[in-house]
Amino acid sequence: MSTDLIRIRGLSTRFFTQEGQINAVEDVSLTIREGELYGIVGESGSGKSVLGLSVIDLIESPGRITDGEIWYRNADIAEATRAEAPDAVDGDFVELRSLSAQARRSLRGQSFSMVFQDPMASMNPSLTVGTQIAEAVEAQRRARSNPRTVRSKTQNYGLGNYLSGLLLPNNDYIRPESRKRAVELLAQVGIPDPSERAQEYPHQFSGGMLQRAMIAQALAGEPDLLIADEPTTALDVTIQAQIIELLEELQQEKDMSILMITHNLGLIAHMCDRLGVMYAGEIVERGTLGEVFDETIHPYTEGLLGSVPSLDRTASRLQPIDGNVPSLIDSEMGDRCYFVDRCPKAMDECFEKPPEYELDGEHAVRCYLADEPDAELERGRSDD
Amino acid sequence: MTEPLVRVENLKKHYTDQDSLLDRLFRRDPVRVRAVDGVSFEIEQGETLGLVGESGCGKSTTGETLLGLREATAGRVRFEETDVFEQQDLTDFRRQTGIVFQDPFSSLDPRMTVHEIIREPMLVHDIGTSDERRERVLDLLEQVGLSPDHIDRYPHEFSGGQRQRIGIARALALEPKFIVLDEPVSALDVSVQAQILNLLADLQAELDLTYLLIAHDLSVVRHISDTVAVMYLGKIVEQGPADELFTAPKHPYTRALLESVPQARTEEQHREMDPIEGDVPSPRDPPSGCSFRTRCPSVIPPDGLDIPQETYRELMTLRERLQGSDSTIDGLLVDADMDTDRPDADRVIDEFFSEPPRDGTRETVRESIEQYRSGNEEQAVATLRESFTTICERDDPDLQESGHHVACHLYS
Amino acid sequence: MISPRTLRNLKTEFRRSSLAQLGVLLMLVIIATAVFAPFIAPHNPTEQDLEQAHLPPVGVTITENNSTSEMVDGEMTIVMEEETINASAAHPLGTDSLGRDMLSRVIYGTRTSLIVSLLGTAIAATFGVTVGLIAGYYNNWIDDTLMRTADVMLAFPSLVLAIALVGVWGSASIAVPDPFVALGFVQDMPETFTLPGTVILVAGLVNWVWFARVARGEALSIRSQEYVKAAHATGADNPFIIRKHVFPNSVTPVLVLATLLVASVVLLESALSFLGFSGTTLSWGFDIAQGRQYLASSWWIAMVPGIAIVLAVISINLIGDWLRDALDPEMDEGESRGGA
Repeated sequence: MSTDLIRIRGLSTRFFTQEGQINAVEDVSLTIREGELYGIVGESGSGKSVLGLSVIDLIESPGRITDGEIWYRNADIAEATRAEAPDAVDGDFVELRSLSAQARRSLRGQSFSMVFQDPMASMNPSLTVGTQIAEAVEAQRRARSNPRTVRSKTQNYGLGNYLSGLLLPNNDYIRPESRKRAVELLAQVGIPDPSERAQEYPHQFSGGMLQRAMIAQALAGEPDLLIADEPTTALDVTIQAQIIELLEELQQEKDMSILMITHNLGLIAHMCDRLGVMYAGEIVERGTLGEVFDETIHPYTEGLLGSVPSLDRTASRLQPIDGNVPSLIDSEMGDRCYFVDRCPKAMDECFEKPPEYELDGEHAVRCYLADEPDAELERGRSDD
Repeated sequence: MTEPLVRVENLKKHYTDQDSLLDRLFRRDPVRVRAVDGVSFEIEQGETLGLVGESGCGKSTTGETLLGLREATAGRVRFEETDVFEQQDLTDFRRQTGIVFQDPFSSLDPRMTVHEIIREPMLVHDIGTSDERRERVLDLLEQVGLSPDHIDRYPHEFSGGQRQRIGIARALALEPKFIVLDEPVSALDVSVQAQILNLLADLQAELDLTYLLIAHDLSVVRHISDTVAVMYLGKIVEQGPADELFTAPKHPYTRALLESVPQARTEEQHREMDPIEGDVPSPRDPPSGCSFRTRCPSVIPPDGLDIPQETYRELMTLRERLQGSDSTIDGLLVDADMDTDRPDADRVIDEFFSEPPRDGTRETVRESIEQYRSGNEEQAVATLRESFTTICERDDPDLQESGHHVACHLYS
Repeated sequence: MISPRTLRNLKTEFRRSSLAQLGVLLMLVIIATAVFAPFIAPHNPTEQDLEQAHLPPVGVTITENNSTSEMVDGEMTIVMEEETINASAAHPLGTDSLGRDMLSRVIYGTRTSLIVSLLGTAIAATFGVTVGLIAGYYNNWIDDTLMRTADVMLAFPSLVLAIALVGVWGSASIAVPDPFVALGFVQDMPETFTLPGTVILVAGLVNWVWFARVARGEALSIRSQEYVKAAHATGADNPFIIRKHVFPNSVTPVLVLATLLVASVVLLESALSFLGFSGTTLSWGFDIAQGRQYLASSWWIAMVPGIAIVLAVISINLIGDWLRDALDPEMDEGESRGGA
């Protein structure tokens, strides 16, 4: 029986732009357990990346998290926060949105870390790979060593420290222990000749190697949750297989949870135990792999599974979903099921937003079909 | 037996790198990049050949060189009996062929309307009057599933999938026989991919089109290809009917590729994947003999050597590492503790191999490592090479003729 | 070339920015002044009236201390007289040393500046963009040759080159008959208007390099776009592709550059006139030149045309800013993959 690590309840993230309010993430609730690989699958415009960024608190203006709670299980922080904000604590869980911005920032790297799609764009081209990873290690070291510095803006790692590191003889900006640890991390992610590679620059690495280095950097603080946003999309298939194996190994070794965000259904099937399917900012269906893939209820999930070509060629013709992803602008969305325009099983009720129905096991669906799975369904379809 | 519509014979496209004035001043030799290194295939009319491979294998270059968009270094392309490269004037060839590109955002001129984009081929070949052209554009829009109202809109007003349809309409404007599809769905969402794939299949049936489909996504290739050719570092390593190739792949690379693709099914969960190691070698410096040997799990040991295949693979990897310019003995020990004294050869062997070799094999390896540690890198490599050479490094395997061909010594 | 989206962006930015509105307004005033000069100018700018020389502009009174020696009672005495020179309503901006009306001169001077700057920039743009697009598109020895030539041209300081060329070619002034006078709509205005031909050519010659550079940069990035490859695949030849694809997509930065260069040519013309190298005596620069010696006394002779130059250059730069802000970067309204 695995314990819960993160409980997300009713999370909404909105972007307030010139074109209007964009509801990128809308009322999302899910739970990630310790040591679990949770998948979020969706196409572009589904809000999956924004969801990942919301958890790690990297949403910047003009966006912000407008509603909901993120409960994170960490006994130490819960203890520390209990005195000041008792409402934000529930047993070992702390509600992240009620913490100060500095407190949330200090969680990045230590509790949560993130790996992005394009490693070449995520690394500084003018610093060696070893230095960048060592920096991450160093920052974590400093943050942990002095809890009071959680309050400081720069966490003891700002310009002043940089300059004193340059100028004063014994005051290294990055200590040798951190550099050593960086090489160890590179070794852990399977990079051969790690001490040599640490002195090379990102452009000297191949795509797969660089993604490994990114993962190494993300592991520097020994986080509880690693958020991976399309980590293999830019990689070749054989390299993707290597990275999949690496992530699975690391997850087992460190008993770390991974939130895997991707549009690749095969990847999800391979790696994840439980997953959520996102459409237009909402989770339309979630559950275990078997429940979502084999006991599918939501027509979008069905459509998605039907449009993926497979190596077996069991379907001679793919079943794509008609139409396009809807706009996420608030004024244009209305209060109905966002999939109703494209849904082959749309009914009259669907013009009022369906609630999330919880079914057996882990399975939950945001669709009226969950309410009457065996009844005769009226086939209605709005004009395209 | 009809002649195939397209026949490519030993097509080569090499680039010379490091060949500027400055390089010559610094006495740097020009480097030959063999992007496409002797590719041959045939496509029958009405069929689809899927050209598959990972990045850098030369598949896109093959497509562009075949169409004459790049100048070939060597080889021949026959289209309907005419030798394409011999032609002074490619106008006729251009009328009969089309190409659809990968990126729906940069493949359409942002300053032209849909009408202008699709009618351009007709303008170039001076076909029809202005009205006739507009009529044809409207027909084409319908054919690819777009509303005729869109004719005077600009590309940025469309989604990725719709833009790709516009690109397809443009390729069809002159009623070509043969279309090169260069990663036509890679940049699209899954559900949109399906729409476009269905459209391509429908068009092929309606218009008796012949396709060269270039893709890295094996599932996509499987879906609409009749024949498949797998490329690695500029060469075709396996080629054959799609069904055969996917159900009974012969080449170790093809097998690895198929193994590595995760399938969207519950059975996929925690499947043993066993990925191949390493990265694709640089096309500037491809390995001798069979270019896949540096990663091939089935690399052939010399006769008489009796060690498990996995050990032999690791041995070859060790050779590669020692040959590499910046390797150290310490680096070989992935879990080495940096502070201890330099580990001895035995420790290296035990840690590097998953099943450490014994007896004569172990002796040779130890000797090599000792030589390496004493700074005699070349000798170290030579020691290993003498004892553990493979046919895969000596001879470049040929692609056998007939049906399902493979370029691999396992089959020669 | 100028797509509806571009026009929309321009309109939005125009409405948003009051500076853009100011710039456009000023420019419209300047253009109207230049076109309708014979109607607006109160006097003939070339008409001299020595009696009325050195009149100050309205609102300014000049007191001159004249000392004359007179015979008073048999002795030579110096008599100080204070003479007050009042402005005349007939010459609201004063007159110059030859009694010519400053207001009329400044109005007519607008014509010179505008025509020289627009024509000069047009020549520079046409030549420069052509060279640049060809160089960038072919990107081989043609590119090297053309760009090295451009570099050589850049090595010359523009003013020195301009002076040298005027010296060699002479001023090549073209007397263009003024249509309004010829058709009899206005009387008493100059019948012809002098176009300083060499200055226009020089302006083009000195500035084409900037256009070439910008156009080349655009061509380099456009040539690797997939729509260019698609055009090749259709069978289009290079001139077709340059005309239909490369050129239209390179217009934006060229346009912005052009507005900046118009301002620069106004200044170049003024400098040349100031130095006496232009072919016309009816220009802002020329007036500044002749007013230089009177800066302490009849300062308006130099100041009036000077302010005119400042206003013209400001207006052009504001328009340039407007174009640049509106057109760059052009936001693609399409979504990109792997987004939210």
